Order: sequence, then structure tokens, then C-alpha cells
Amino acid sequence: MLRKEQNDLLTQTAPGTPMGQMFRCYWIPALLASELPENECPPVRVKLLSERLLAFRDSNGKYGLIDEFCAHRGVSLWFGRNEEGGLRCPYHGWKYDVTGQCMDVPSEPVESGFCQKIKLKSYPLVKRGAVLWTYMGPPDKQPPLPEWEFAMVPENQTFVSKRLQESNWLQAMEGGIDSSHVSFLHRGDLHTDPLFKGAKGNEYNLKDMRPHFEVVEQPGGLYIGARRNAENGSYYWRITPWVMPYFTQIPPRADHPMHGHFWIPIDDENCWTWTYDFHPVRPLTPREVEALKDGAGVHFKYEPGTYRPIANKDNDYLMDRAAQKAGTTYSGVAGFASQDASLQESMGPICDRTKENLVSTDNGIIMARHRMLRAAKALVEKGTIPPGVDPEHHRVRSVSIVLPPDQAFKDGAKEALVSRLGAPQTTV
Amino acid sequence: MQSESARMTTAEQARFRINHPNSKPRSVKVVALDARSEAVVKRLALGQWQNASFLIAKHFDGAPRSGEGWNMKDWLSDLAGRTKDLVDEVATADLVVMIATAGANAQAAAVIAEACNVRKVMTTALIIGSESKSDEELSKSLASLRPYASMLVIAGNDDYIEAMLVALRA
Repeated sequence: MLRKEQNDLLTQTAPGTPMGQMFRCYWIPALLASELPENECPPVRVKLLSERLLAFRDSNGKYGLIDEFCAHRGVSLWFGRNEEGGLRCPYHGWKYDVTGQCMDVPSEPVESGFCQKIKLKSYPLVKRGAVLWTYMGPPDKQPPLPEWEFAMVPENQTFVSKRLQESNWLQAMEGGIDSSHVSFLHRGDLHTDPLFKGAKGNEYNLKDMRPHFEVVEQPGGLYIGARRNAENGSYYWRITPWVMPYFTQIPPRADHPMHGHFWIPIDDENCWTWTYDFHPVRPLTPREVEALKDGAGVHFKYEPGTYRPIANKDNDYLMDRAAQKAGTTYSGVAGFASQDASLQESMGPICDRTKENLVSTDNGIIMARHRMLRAAKALVEKGTIPPGVDPEHHRVRSVSIVLPPDQAFKDGAKEALVSRLGAPQTTV
Repeated sequence: MQSESARMTTAEQARFRINHPNSKPRSVKVVALDARSEAVVKRLALGQWQNASFLIAKHFDGAPRSGEGWNMKDWLSDLAGRTKDLVDEVATADLVVMIATAGANAQAAAVIAEACNVRKVMTTALIIGSESKSDEELSKSLASLRPYASMLVIAGNDDYIEAMLVALRA
């Protein structure tokens, strides 16, 4: 349970809010690089943290993320002409570069210097891996670029997608650190999904429905370990790193690619669920890539021409009661991503946490909220940079491992929990 | 026609969620397992709680060896030092939270967990004071508590205990 004011604080990310200020300390995924595929391609509307922006790639290949609206009469620059090093408003010809600096006001004499006085708000937009990242905080506090492993491996080892989730970011993120739901909601898919099936770990998952948990703080956030019984008294551990405020990585299964998520607020009632798959030591196979593009694993199929999943609230997530009854799927909704989205969106646009009844196995969620509340307070009151900003905090990995009963995962998986480019994953 | 899910997941519809308590108060027993955690628990007890009670495991040393029988009567006291019957306390609990200091003796956890197991009461253990202890001491505490807690948390700050109890509606 959270008090209303705590819930408001964690769920509101518009400019001027404490959590908004916190999100503006981080590099966040803004677009897929494929959304701006070439120089002078069409601009793309982007809403992030309740700010309407426009992304474009100019004639020289520079990326820009600027205020969506022309400073003159408030026209959306989405209609703009991307030409000769800038984006020109089609209404009266005002033109902007990737920094938002006005380059031309045709109605004013060049000599007047008027256009120098016009500048739209802009944020840096940088390609790393398959993602264009932005930083929306004060320029003097801009941190080094992110070093998430999935974005640092060669491009043929990684696959990234994003989907619109029609709920507040927090209820979506909390699903990512809630390991115990896998044995229920996703149980039908563990043996059939091409990116999950065949792992020994699946058997442990399905045999032991009451995992025990250990939550350990780490510099950037948490490690949440779920242990289930394995052979001869040993434990099967699934260890999920959460890096503040928005990153998780799902523990791997066999030699399948590793995967995880970012949850990025669009506004307070919508977020982007970013999903990555990568293999640390080998290219993804053609079959894996095909499955990923086809929405397998934790990815999804899109409504054509959008980033909205094809199973969405408008079609009741293609609910199949017969499949639910037969146990083909546990909830009646197919696919990991749609299963999560359907339930998380059903909570309403912003989950009312004053009415929830958490239990002790929810300590990962409780601890994550606690750390964010503490970090937001320290940021607002003292200017303390929150955990997760330092690229050192990005060098984490999820792990699945079998350990003796008396060994702590923080010891038994110590090396495995640190990402090292080119090192194989630790997986069962 | 708009789908059921589309109609019912709007902010407007969220206003119609029934505003009536959906749970009864849970009884949470918070037990300090050692001297440092006792001080923390005494401080916590000064707060406003719905249905939490705070106890101290009295016998820090001499927990029974495996196979030995023991009397559960005298293992707990309240904050005023009055002996409390462990079985009675567990019988009225929905959750038992054990607070242990990293590196300290947590043998009482075995006795408390045994009583909880008999009554099928969930146990959570929180390890505090980890920042001032070595990794080795922390690992020892984890190993000694792991068999007795379905949830084990290393809390960097003591204030997490309060946050957790509030979150659990204690």
C-alpha cells in the first residue's frame, strides 16, 4: 500500500514534479533508430515525460529532438519540410536546426538577426545500439552515455522493440520485478514459446509454485532473487536486476537470448515498454530473429503501422476463454507481453495503490518504491544524483543458476551478475 | 462497438472502483533477534500501527541443536520485558517479521520459524546494519536465516523496516 501522496509522487513525471525531475537525470530511450532511417527522412512525433517533441534527422545525418511546435504560430512541425540542414515549418517557412535554433525567418531581413532570437527547447538525441537515447535534464548535469550491455554488443547480437502500454509507467515496471507471477500468468508459454522452451529452469519454475525471495540492494538499484527447489537440496535461483528507475533484465533460460525491459513514461497514463533481446557471445540466429520479429518471447505483434500491440484493449486483448479453460494459456490472453499488458492496463490508467494489499513476497516492489521515494527526496532537497545514472550501474546482468542451499546468490553469482562484454551468460 | 476493456479502463471509470475496505487488518508480529535490532524495534514501536506488535527474542544464545526438544514458552518477551508465549503469539499472527543484525547471532530464528511452520504462518526476515559489516558476516547471516524465512531482505537503511510495515498495512 502507498499513501495517495506517495502514489502521486511516483506516478507523475511531468516537468516540475519530483519523479519528473528524477527521470530527467537519466538517458532514456526515445525512439528506435529505425524510426529515423535516413537523412532528411520524415520527422517523428515523440511524447516523453508529458512533453510533446519532434525527432528528426537532418541532411547531414544529425539527430534532433525539439519542441514539436513552431515558435511562430504554434503549428506542429510534424508537417515540416526536412531540407538542407533543418526542418522548415510549412506555414510561413520558419526553419530550425537539430538544436532547435531558428535558422531562417523568411519574412524578416537576414540582417536583422531576428532568427537568432528564436530557439525551441531541444534535447540531445544520440544513437547507441538500435536505440536513439535522449537526456531531458539540465545540460550542465548531463551524464556520460548509457552503457547497457544490449546496446553495446554488435548489432547482429541484439534486437529491440517498443510497444505502447496504455497505463502509467509504474504499474508496468512493477510487473517486471514481480517474479512470482511467472509461474501463474505465463506458465502456459514456458514450454511452447520458441525463445523460452527447452530450458531446465522451466521445470524448476513449474514444479515449485511458491518461490522464496531474497532482495539485496546494489548501487544502482536491487537484485531480486527468487529461489525454487532443485535437486538434492540445492536451489534454482532466478536473479533479476532492477536499475533505477526503469530498467530490468529477465533471468535467462538455457542458451536463449537474454532479455529485459525499460519503461518510459509518455505521460502519466501511457508509457513505452521497451523490450530488448541480446546474446552476449553470438549473433542471433535467423530463426531467433524471425521469432522476435513475429512477436515471440517478450515481444509482440503490432497493429499495422503503429507501435500498438495487435492484442489491445479495443479487442479485449483477443481473450480466449476456451484456451483459458483448457490451460493453453493461464489467463486466456496469448503471449507474454499481452498477458502483462492486459492485466496492468486493467488496473486503470494510474493504479490506485491505496487499495492494494501487498504480501511479504512483494518486498521487491516495496523496496523499489522505497528507494525511488528516497532518491527523489534527496534529489529535490539536496540535488543528489540518483542511483542508476552512473554508467557503472548499467553493468549488470540477470542470472539463472543452481546453488548449494547455504550459499547466498550475492556470493555464488557475484561475477555472473556483472556484465562483461564478450563473456557468456550464466544460465540454466 | 467499443470493447469492454476499452470502456472500463478509463480514468473516468476508475472513479467507480468501490471505496470500501477490501481486507481485514492483518496481525504482524515484529521480532528483534539481537541487541541492535531490539533498539530498532523499540523505536519502531513508538509509531502508529494498525495491528502490529513488537517483541524481542529473549534467548540469543543456546538455541537447541538439531533433534533436541525445547520449550517454546519462554522465547519471547514484549518490550517491557514480560515473557510472551511464542506459540500463542504465532497463533494470532498473519505474518512474523524477524529483524536481525548482520553478523549477529540469529539462532532464535530457528525456533520462531518452527512455531510458524506448525501454524503455517509466513515469515520474513530483514537483515539490518549490513553497511558496517563485512561481506562474509553478511553471507553468514543470510545462510543462517535462509532456511527460516520465505522472504529475506538486506535493508541498507533501518527506515526500510517502517516502509515495509506500512506497505503491508501492519
